[in-house]
Amino acid sequence: MTIISALLVIIILNVGYYKDWFQAKPLQYWTDFLKEKDDTLSEEGIMASRYGISYTMSMRIKHVLEQKNVVHPIILFEPNSYYRDSLHIYPKVHVPEPAVFYYYTGLEGVWINSPDADKANYLVRITSKGVALDMIRTPEQRQQLLAFYRKYPPIL
Amino acid sequence: MTFLVFILLFICYLVSGYGLLTIFGMRLKTAYMITLSLLLGIVVASFVPFLLQLFYVDLTPTTIFGSLLLAALVLNIPTWRRIRKEGFPAVRRSFALKPFRILPYEVPWLLIFGFFIFVSIWRCYYLPPTSRDALSGPEAIADFAVREHTMINSFFNVDLWSTNNQFKSPYLISLQMICKMAGFPFGQVWLSIVFVSFMIFLYHALKERVHPIIAGLLLLLFLMTPEMYAYTFMILYDYSNMIFFFLSLYFLFDYFKSGIRSHFYFAGLLMGIATYIRSETLALAVLFLPVILLSQRRNKDSFAKIVKADVFFFLPSILGYYLTAQFYIKYYLPVHYDIGGLVNDHLSDLGPLFQRYSDIVTRLMTSEFAIHLWGYILYVTAALFLAEGIFVRRYSRDARNWLYAILVLYLGVGALGFLLPMMNLNETTKRALFKLLPLAVLYLANNQLLIRLSQWISRWEGTPVHLFAREQPSTPALQANAVLAKKAPVKTGKLASAGGKTASPAGNAGKTAPAPAARPSSKKRKR
Repeated sequence: MTIISALLVIIILNVGYYKDWFQAKPLQYWTDFLKEKDDTLSEEGIMASRYGISYTMSMRIKHVLEQKNVVHPIILFEPNSYYRDSLHIYPKVHVPEPAVFYYYTGLEGVWINSPDADKANYLVRITSKGVALDMIRTPEQRQQLLAFYRKYPPIL
Repeated sequence: MTFLVFILLFICYLVSGYGLLTIFGMRLKTAYMITLSLLLGIVVASFVPFLLQLFYVDLTPTTIFGSLLLAALVLNIPTWRRIRKEGFPAVRRSFALKPFRILPYEVPWLLIFGFFIFVSIWRCYYLPPTSRDALSGPEAIADFAVREHTMINSFFNVDLWSTNNQFKSPYLISLQMICKMAGFPFGQVWLSIVFVSFMIFLYHALKERVHPIIAGLLLLLFLMTPEMYAYTFMILYDYSNMIFFFLSLYFLFDYFKSGIRSHFYFAGLLMGIATYIRSETLALAVLFLPVILLSQRRNKDSFAKIVKADVFFFLPSILGYYLTAQFYIKYYLPVHYDIGGLVNDHLSDLGPLFQRYSDIVTRLMTSEFAIHLWGYILYVTAALFLAEGIFVRRYSRDARNWLYAILVLYLGVGALGFLLPMMNLNETTKRALFKLLPLAVLYLANNQLLIRLSQWISRWEGTPVHLFAREQPSTPALQANAVLAKKAPVKTGKLASAGGKTASPAGNAGKTAPAPAARPSSKKRKR
């Protein structure tokens, strides 16, 4: 009976999609565990490896603004549909929604349709060369930016 | 230090959950007592910070941990009384661990379960919450609540146009706060307690109906549902909701069989918890009214008795819904949420309803995508359902109950998707279907073909075969319970004492589950 049980377990783990999934997920998680149990990553390091580029970018923005001692930054994000339709780098590259950005950094982020979009004083621009954090210096400049991005509706 | 705090929290959950079980007069097998105590303890813990918030008490480690301790003590007042009356052994019996014996052919199953569980626990502990629905709502609120000592915090000043997750139940927020305050930066570890407790409960429940080999097979199929396994280490509402919804039906169907009234009220409480976690569960709860009325009619209950019992059954669900989806949102949160505005404007056009039913079957249950979500468990269920119909030509009452539950869930989830278009197919409806899986597994455990196979295996190995899947209580203890329960119905408001008395005659007290758990012949098994 014990052999039958063992055989059944082996069969299930190797049948059809179960085999693919078991190797891609639980077995991979086990391999990850063997590495993770010895690593010395900080909380921020673990979050960066888990959340990927959008978290790393958010934390860079935070550090830059902290270095500049900006009192109340409000960061305007380009719409993700702009990356999708114009730059064609979505979804590999995308910015977090304001709620998640706040969770990551404690900073206020806005989209072009946010109530506080008119108060944005920084713009995050993503280009093929990298990420840039530009200061918005005048209300006219802000209106021009909002008008430019208005044709790209915010998406997650 | 963190480990020590975790142990203390664990004990606190165990004690407060046990208190709640005692209030409902539940006397079950040790494995059930422990796992249910932990699950209920988690719920109590999730309710405490929420309650403090409702009274605008600062949510600091002192107030939260102090209140958790207080809740554990208050909920155990009936236990103290019992100890004073019967002595400490009365309580000790509830947790008495019998000599722990694993049958040799259970070992391969337990090893693979252990592997899945270990990996899940590690990821729960090591990784931060990941799902977008958590990050854009409860997890963020909890994170800032720990710093600002209130759930109504600066998170609500951010543009929340893209999310409605801030309006969901405080269940996750509270539990995340507790774990973060206890020293776990990512929280989440409470989910492992929920997961492991449920696995143990389910394995025992299955072993009472089918042979351990088949129980192992069914549990492995359940565990190897790719989509759901991911939610054993990623906090969200649906996994917990599934557990309490299933447990509610488990005790409801047990009440149908045994007539033990305390199980009926306990099922009501569990449904209330499921609703507290996900408010739309209320709609599903209501769909069980016909089968409840049918059972009460069969028992020849008076009209007044039926009304009273049903009010007390549905009251926790109504409270669970109102507190989280109406009262808290309307009177506490700084942002408005018009739930009425989410309802479909074109209710007379039934096309989308049937389209939703069709999509659930074709995309979420039978496609290649469905295999990626659930593995083959739905196919196995469908095949054995058909085989039972063809070869046995009837379904037992237990099987019919679980099949009814599956049907209700399918119809209910489809209708909810039609009524609330924001319940999209690939996310919300998909996760709502988590609830289908334990129902399917319990149906399989009551499938006559698998029961016959169990009996055949038992006969082959020379162990008693009369133990699997009874239609009626078959032991004196069970019959006594049922008779006593009918003769001495529980008076509402005196659930603790009355339920306790009816559900457990002296000879059975604290040892075995009155109905679902008792398997008299399990002691006779020789392997």
